[in-house]
Amino acid sequence: MGKDRKEKRFYPDYLSEIIFAILVSIEILTILALLYYPSIGRQIDFTRPFQPRPEWYFLWLYQFVRYFPGKSAFLGTVMIPLISVLLLLLIPYIDRGKNGRLKAIAVGSILLLMFLILTLLSVL
Amino acid sequence: MGKIFDWIDSRFGVKEPHKRFLQRPVPENINYSYCLGGMAFTYFLMLAFTGILLSIYYVPSEKEAFKSVVMITNEVTLGWLVRSLHKWSANLFIIFIILHTIRVFVYKAYRPPRDLNWMAGVFGFVTAMASGFTGYLLPWDQKAYWATEVGTSMFGTVPLIGDYLMYAVRGGLDINGTTLIRFYSLHILYLPVSMAVVLWAHFHMVKKQGIAKSL
Repeated sequence: MGKDRKEKRFYPDYLSEIIFAILVSIEILTILALLYYPSIGRQIDFTRPFQPRPEWYFLWLYQFVRYFPGKSAFLGTVMIPLISVLLLLLIPYIDRGKNGRLKAIAVGSILLLMFLILTLLSVL
Repeated sequence: MGKIFDWIDSRFGVKEPHKRFLQRPVPENINYSYCLGGMAFTYFLMLAFTGILLSIYYVPSEKEAFKSVVMITNEVTLGWLVRSLHKWSANLFIIFIILHTIRVFVYKAYRPPRDLNWMAGVFGFVTAMASGFTGYLLPWDQKAYWATEVGTSMFGTVPLIGDYLMYAVRGGLDINGTTLIRFYSLHILYLPVSMAVVLWAHFHMVKKQGIAKSL
């Protein structure tokens, strides 16, 4: 029994921690939802020009499109997002061989930095 | 356990497998960063819960959509709060998926045999983004309309099939009531069901393979 006790078990060791994390998540959510509730937007009006603004997690994509005008737009709108998702999917296979981990870190940080920098650029 | 539970369990048989599930060993030196995925899942459950509540009053039609959102916000008891919770859960869901992905990456937990589970996670991430995109149109206001106008026009840039693709996404040449119903259907049926399947696979593999040992 002595050995068994040393070993952590899902219940109750880990489950209690998860429940704590769940409570924190719900707290964060409730505080944000109470403090910053969404207002009602303006009714659709075709006569008024409107600057379109997507959700924050699509800002990087909208920013990318600006760099590819005209016929090359296809690169920014479809190719780069598709390649990004593909690279993310293939991370376990990029991490192969001698310098696998380094390659994976390179790809992972490029994707993350691309997302962060482009999002920042579109906000500024 | 109680008599009622035993009666149900003798027919349902949930006690044994769950005992195994609950008593499985976990690595000793795990920390709170392992909870990020669970926190993201909490937001998914909140999204499902508040989404079902919103669907009671929301009307997915060109004429009624905006009015019904105004009604949910101004008239329905606590409607503003449910809407706010739904919106914030969506944002937090994406944030915590990203954090969870970074955690898994740092701890090299994507390596085989967990490679397939990493891929399931990427599919879940894409599904979450698609849910955000389709959900953005539903309030049917200026912001929603024009953001979706720009977003869907991206499909039109695909060579050869671009025009057909954009037509299929919008259900017409422009964004109209058909687009709204299309996005509504994706948002409340196809995408949540896909997400549920992906998450089932995700958790099933975690259960089978155990939690990856830390660094």
